[in-house]
Amino acid sequence: MAVHVELFGQLGSGTQRTRTLTLEQPRTVQQIAMELGLDPEHIGLIVINGVQREMDDWVPPDCRLCFFPPVSGG
Amino acid sequence: MQLLRVNITQHKTEFVPVPPLYERLGGRALIAKVLLEEVPPTCDPLGPRNKLIFAPGLLAGAGVTTAGRLSVGAKSPLTGGAKEANAGGTAGDTLPKLGIKAIIVEGQARAGEWYILHVKSDSAELIAANDLRGLGTYATAERLQEQFGTDASIISIGQAGEFLMCGASIALTGERDQRSNHAARGGLGAVMGSKGLKAIVIDRATKSLTPANPDLFRSATKRFAQALINDPKTGQKGSQHLYGTASIVGAVNEMGSLPTRNFSAGNFEQAATLRGEYLREVILKREGKVGTRCMPGCVIACRNEYVDETGKPIVGTLQFETIALVGSNLGLGNLDDVARLNYMCNDFGLDTIETGAALGVAIEAGLARFGDFESIRALLAQVGEGTVLGRVIGNGAVTTGRVLGIRRVPAVLGQAMPGYDPRTLKGNGVTYATSPQGADHTAGNAFGARKEVNPLAVQGQKELSLRLQIIAAMLDSTGLCLFARPPIIADPQLMADMINGLYGWGWTTQDLDQFYRDVLRNEIEFNRRAGITAAQHRIPEYMREEPLPPHNAVFDVPDADLDAVFDTL
Repeated sequence: MAVHVELFGQLGSGTQRTRTLTLEQPRTVQQIAMELGLDPEHIGLIVINGVQREMDDWVPPDCRLCFFPPVSGG
Repeated sequence: MQLLRVNITQHKTEFVPVPPLYERLGGRALIAKVLLEEVPPTCDPLGPRNKLIFAPGLLAGAGVTTAGRLSVGAKSPLTGGAKEANAGGTAGDTLPKLGIKAIIVEGQARAGEWYILHVKSDSAELIAANDLRGLGTYATAERLQEQFGTDASIISIGQAGEFLMCGASIALTGERDQRSNHAARGGLGAVMGSKGLKAIVIDRATKSLTPANPDLFRSATKRFAQALINDPKTGQKGSQHLYGTASIVGAVNEMGSLPTRNFSAGNFEQAATLRGEYLREVILKREGKVGTRCMPGCVIACRNEYVDETGKPIVGTLQFETIALVGSNLGLGNLDDVARLNYMCNDFGLDTIETGAALGVAIEAGLARFGDFESIRALLAQVGEGTVLGRVIGNGAVTTGRVLGIRRVPAVLGQAMPGYDPRTLKGNGVTYATSPQGADHTAGNAFGARKEVNPLAVQGQKELSLRLQIIAAMLDSTGLCLFARPPIIADPQLMADMINGLYGWGWTTQDLDQFYRDVLRNEIEFNRRAGITAAQHRIPEYMREEPLPPHNAVFDVPDADLDAVFDTL
């Protein structure tokens, strides 16, 4: 299954902001974050197909997965 | 500390002792109390009985980082209720250093007469200033700083305030040549214009307030600054410093809440070129400025100066709300276009949120085209010219919708919604529908982080909104920036220590909690006496009927929930 990943803000600094992962087995958000080398402490928001998710959620096939650093409205 | 009372009808300025009732209040809290005590709630907001109040927060002038925002308030001509809007700049930090707790302006100049108020360390005077009439806020500040010195703080209105437009803002200068900090919401620029007050000039002050308990104060303020520096959002490696308020464009768009084409979608196909990441890249490439500050001593420094391809400044600072309302909401995906419209709004002295929403409504009525910068620019130019159509748009989204026969008007209590569609960020919808300030993200912004209330769900939103509205009252009354909230939320004692260290009051965190809640109680009471009812607070009906793509969500928080928000206040 394909997962389209985008890293926002400083999570994507100095690295590829968008990539498509091909997964043979289902993964949680946390597993994908680890594979991408993201520190969970630096992840503020996770959005899958426009819906806010958590680290232990399973990632559905053919989705768009976005990682954001800690952010808040000003 | 003293109050500076200014009666323009009588051409009189007077320093008076602070009455005991106001002694322990600042910023929004002081404004709410003055409105309740001194302003007839049913008065004409643009008449002589309304009072325009400039009040720094309780922590201003003492060297506390991010605490120099100046609150401006009055009965709002836009909402008809209590209004407070605040901005950075240098005035909020300077007034307490001059021994001034607040400036309260009442009365009204005779038609055609314009004044400036010059505030010095030991006196204040009204000076005739008809020569400034018709100038925008940039030229007004430049002219006055030539006359009074470049280190003077200038508070001014542009053409929109002179025309008494309900979308008019009040501009504040900052350090060096910084111009565009705006107390933007609620039409306070029109109240200033109605008084015949074109500008206030405040001489520089250097002496900070002396803390009552220096050890407690220094230790608390140091802890506070360090906590902001260490915070993953506000520190030097945090998104707010790196990308400013625009850091959230991508997230709000992904979550389907970014106002797009007059709030007809929550996701904008050109959002990638409006994001904070892209903004930073463009500015750095063009040798503009990022990570600058709007207040002296701010450790977050989220401001930017947006420049054109030749490196010439267009506007400072380009922020999320403007990008949302003047960008995606108008179908514009080019930051240069947004920056140019932002400059025009700043110069005319207009709230970019109210004006962006009004322009969106006007475009829906066929007066310009979504995504067509030139047609939108021409429409906005009419506001500064004061044409009939310009006056319609300058009076905000509701007036524009009414005149042009458009029902899809994103406003609550007469005030346009900011950059979060309430159908997909329902917590903000609850704040818009209940805050005594009307649709205002700074009154309690639910855009948040992991492990909070699901923004698409109904459950938990009313409790969340109340909690956030109390936090907002705290920030607005102490002079703190919205971004500075994490350390205080994590450790409420920190606020008690800073205030007690400065004033020697002995407040507990329970006292503080009541202090914050009293702000809302006083505003709600003023609005009740002004005749505002639940009906004026409702989210527009079309947002309950019309699904918002891509989630196809409607605003479905029941009215009963909205009416119960303040049950536990």
